Amino acid sequence: MSAADRFKHMNKGFDLGQALAEADRCLLCHDAPCSRGCPAETDPGAFIRKLRFQNITGAIRTIKTNNIMGGACGVLCPTARLCEKECSARLKSLERPEGADSPIQIGKIQRFLIEHGWQTGFQVFEKPAARPEKVAVVGSGPSGLSCAAELAQDGYQVTIFEERPEPGGVLRYGVVAYRFDMAFLEKEMQDIKNLGITFQCNHRIDGPEGAEKLLQDGFDAVFLGPGLWDAARLKPDAPAIDGLYSSVKYLSMLRDGRFNDIHQKVKDKTVAVIGGGSVAMDCVESAVKLDAKDVYLVYRRSYSQMPAESDERIEALEAGVHYLLLNQPVDFITSKQNCLTGLKLVRTQLGAPDESGRRTPELIKGSDWVLDADIVVEAIGNKAEDASPQWYPNVKVNNRNLIEVDAETGQTSVKGIFAGGDIIRGPALVVQAVQDGKVAAKAIKTYLNKQEA
Amino acid sequence: MAKNAIDLSVDFCGVHFHNPFLLSSSPVANSAEMVARSFEAGWSGVVFKTLNSDRLPIVHPSPRMAAVDYGRKQMVAVQNVEQISDRPLKDNLTEFLYLKKNYPDHIIISSIMGFFADEWEYLAKVSEDNGADMLELNFSCPHMCIEGSGHKVGQAFHLIEQFTERVKKAVSIPVIAKMTPNITDMTEPAIFAKNGGADAISAINTVSGISGIDLDDFVPRPNVFGIGAVSGTSGPAIKPIGLHFIADMAKCEEIGLPLSGIGGIETWIDALEYILLGASTIQVTTGIMHFGYRIVEDMIEGLSDCMAQQGITKLSDLIGKALPNLQPTDQFDLDRQGVAQYNLDKCIGCGQCHIVCQDAAGQAIDWDIENRRPQLIEDKCLSCMICSFVCPVPGLISFKEMPKDWRRRETAVMDKNLENELEYEPFTKEGPHECTY
Ligand SMILES: Cc1cc2nc3c(=O)[nH]c(=O)nc-3n(C[C@H](O)[C@H](O)[C@H](O)COP(=O)(O)OP(=O)(O)OC[C@H]3O[C@@H](n4cnc5c(N)ncnc54)[C@H](O)[C@@H]3O)c2cc1C
Ligand SMILES: Cc1cc2nc3c(=O)[nH]c(=O)nc-3n(C[C@H](O)[C@H](O)[C@H](O)COP(=O)(O)O)c2cc1C
Ligand code: SF4
Ligand code: SF4
Ligand code: SF4
Repeated sequence: MSAADRFKHMNKGFDLGQALAEADRCLLCHDAPCSRGCPAETDPGAFIRKLRFQNITGAIRTIKTNNIMGGACGVLCPTARLCEKECSARLKSLERPEGADSPIQIGKIQRFLIEHGWQTGFQVFEKPAARPEKVAVVGSGPSGLSCAAELAQDGYQVTIFEERPEPGGVLRYGVVAYRFDMAFLEKEMQDIKNLGITFQCNHRIDGPEGAEKLLQDGFDAVFLGPGLWDAARLKPDAPAIDGLYSSVKYLSMLRDGRFNDIHQKVKDKTVAVIGGGSVAMDCVESAVKLDAKDVYLVYRRSYSQMPAESDERIEALEAGVHYLLLNQPVDFITSKQNCLTGLKLVRTQLGAPDESGRRTPELIKGSDWVLDADIVVEAIGNKAEDASPQWYPNVKVNNRNLIEVDAETGQTSVKGIFAGGDIIRGPALVVQAVQDGKVAAKAIKTYLNKQEA
Repeated sequence: MAKNAIDLSVDFCGVHFHNPFLLSSSPVANSAEMVARSFEAGWSGVVFKTLNSDRLPIVHPSPRMAAVDYGRKQMVAVQNVEQISDRPLKDNLTEFLYLKKNYPDHIIISSIMGFFADEWEYLAKVSEDNGADMLELNFSCPHMCIEGSGHKVGQAFHLIEQFTERVKKAVSIPVIAKMTPNITDMTEPAIFAKNGGADAISAINTVSGISGIDLDDFVPRPNVFGIGAVSGTSGPAIKPIGLHFIADMAKCEEIGLPLSGIGGIETWIDALEYILLGASTIQVTTGIMHFGYRIVEDMIEGLSDCMAQQGITKLSDLIGKALPNLQPTDQFDLDRQGVAQYNLDKCIGCGQCHIVCQDAAGQAIDWDIENRRPQLIEDKCLSCMICSFVCPVPGLISFKEMPKDWRRRETAVMDKNLENELEYEPFTKEGPHECTY
């Protein structure tokens, strides 16, 4: 299989038989714990029951009306710590030594139902009566899409402004395609487009007060969901080095038409990825798939402190990634031509826990060494663009440039401007962004109704 | 006890079977090639697919079966419109000769169906002449495409007697009459069969039913080019019906004939249940249609081990052993009452017990939201036990008898005030304590 092919498709999901078999295992709990565990109120307790009673269209409706990105969430949610965490079927095996039950595979059932809807052509939404109110949504990531869809379902006129050429946010330019492929994204986008939303891509909201001007330009409310597209850097002020990438740029190249460029760069080379989160996992695994000679994951704490999900950690290990734990990168080594040749590391040991409860890495004096590497990818966190507050100067932000909102409504400090997704939480999840968009949309409806009265 | 000390053999109408497990007459017993393989697998005998006399052409409808599923469980029942054997009589008889020659220790039972007495007699005679050890008279197929046959005969009791009598006169091998469940009381036709000279009764054939309907075109299944029909249901779903009829006949002293149990048998436990209610052989179709001949291995091994564990050497000692415990409902001691009891150490908090008790029982289970645990209000428990059927943890909920002086609370009336508006006189007439017509 060529490298490009390896990035085209994600794994197949359940078929009807598998989904029904899994639903059959569900205990149909009273006050279902799974439904409580879903950040977007997707209500698996209800949609699994509907599937079980052959009400498949109803099951799809439950998902889509609560979570317009139900397909993406079914694929991408870290279910083990969300809906599946308190699943009674799992408890069944915990409490019984002789039992061997695992949680119901809710994400997989959810994905199946959405795909089944596409296969059978079932349309959840009917065209609503148009309303006069206009809402602008900045950013077409999960939060923006969810907010737009929730409003469009009620006939509000929604325009999404997106600076990139295609909509989808991280789902389009971040997540690697073998975990979430284009065909799937296109179908989920189509469901949203069918609601009659106007997309203005290649349209960055910018300039002083760019966002706030939208209110003067005829929009009755604005939702901000720009996500986090700047990368935290080890040496923020250092000049550019050939071979040094931020995770944002590296992952984007895999999906924005520059695949061959990055493939040529990585092929047969030694790659070091700095970081221990989910994004770092996408970087290391994709480097393996790009035929890198060796891929190192460099992390300053130890295995169990890594924020990546446990299945991701195991998958990367199995894929052949070398884990360099307890090593703090301190500098990049370059050739005379400013090409990267290595990464300077200092070994660490774990000290006392910090405020997050994780033990702090402490440098071991005199233990520095150089890992030879041709490519280094920094995956140490996405952050808000330093300049972003310029286009919403009156919107209150915190010291990390994250927008401050009212948790119940997503309302910012500026009347009529709402926000959600990573820009209010820091790096979070698709399902949380969906919920933020939905919550804000509901608040926008209330706000606009009040304006009218 | 040593396993090889276990004796599974039975005598049935004086014929020796090395175990009680037989193929019943159906596609699983359609040819000698198939039956030979079943014998190799461990079945002790076969009721061959019902012979016809070649007088009328037999054509099977197509498609001829449909399955009834339950959740992810496939084939809890099968619906079929298959006819009796469509093979030439000569071929079927030649198959008997082959089987007798190659498997002399196995028992060949010829199932036959005629449309009038001479035809019954003819089929009986050729069967005996070509090696059949016994006969089974098919009075019971519910979906023959030719009028006046199958369970139409089984429902016209005098015809049972008449045809059995003709057959008995013609042959000297034992004759079994196979009964249809599509009647109310099977002891009656069984007595007619006995009066005609039958040596044994087998039951049940398939239950008249409709498996389901295609929602695209509203045709009941199997959909035979746009037409469905009431036809025979078989498989696990019909086991309670089969057990009931076998037990009725076993309890009826006037019948007093050996019985062959059929209907929904898959495991040694199913088979043993039929035996405990009075069957001395058992027959299987749908279990084989679902899993193949190999299931007999587990029947033999499972039943032998169970007997060894209970210290029973001879299977024949178990025949009818449950019958004394089967009594009419008026024999219940209604003074003894109990409730469900919960071992909450094992509870996983799914709340299904709460749901079903709320909606289908005594509202006797409160739900502790915080701890996700049921709380039983004992004096509201009806002891229906449905909570124990839905609880996913085996053994968590069990039945416990309460002391004699314990009383169950009466179901509360929503609004006692409405009693003022009642139009009601209590019923006061004296009457009998049993039903009179
Ligand atoms: C590599 C990677 C992998 C991930 N994997 C998972 C996963 O497996 N599961 C999971 O649940 N979560 C995952 N996440 C997190 C998840 O993708 C995010 O939490 C989610 O996408 C946030 O949605 P959002 O709407 O806030 O922003 P984004 O998805 O970031 O979308 C923001 C959009 O706004 C646009 N935009 C920004 N500024 C402007 C502007 N000024 N004008 C116009 N448009 C603008 C951007 O171009 C972008 O399209 C991952 C994140 C990354 C980076
Ligand atoms: C497809 C099919 C064909 C059958 N054909 C016959 C038959 O020719 N003669 C007969 O006596 N019984 C016939 N039966 C009835 C079976 O022998 C048996 O009595 C019935 O299926 C119940 O047993 P089971 O639940 O093990 O299948 C047939 C059953 C099926 C499912
Ligand atoms: S918690 Fe698990 S078993 Fe209970 S309803 Fe949800 S998926 Fe089903
Ligand atoms: S959206 Fe995600 S967390 Fe919620 S039920 Fe679906 S898979 Fe689980
Ligand atoms: S059904 Fe069983 S496991 Fe579930 S809550 Fe009730 S007692 Fe507990």
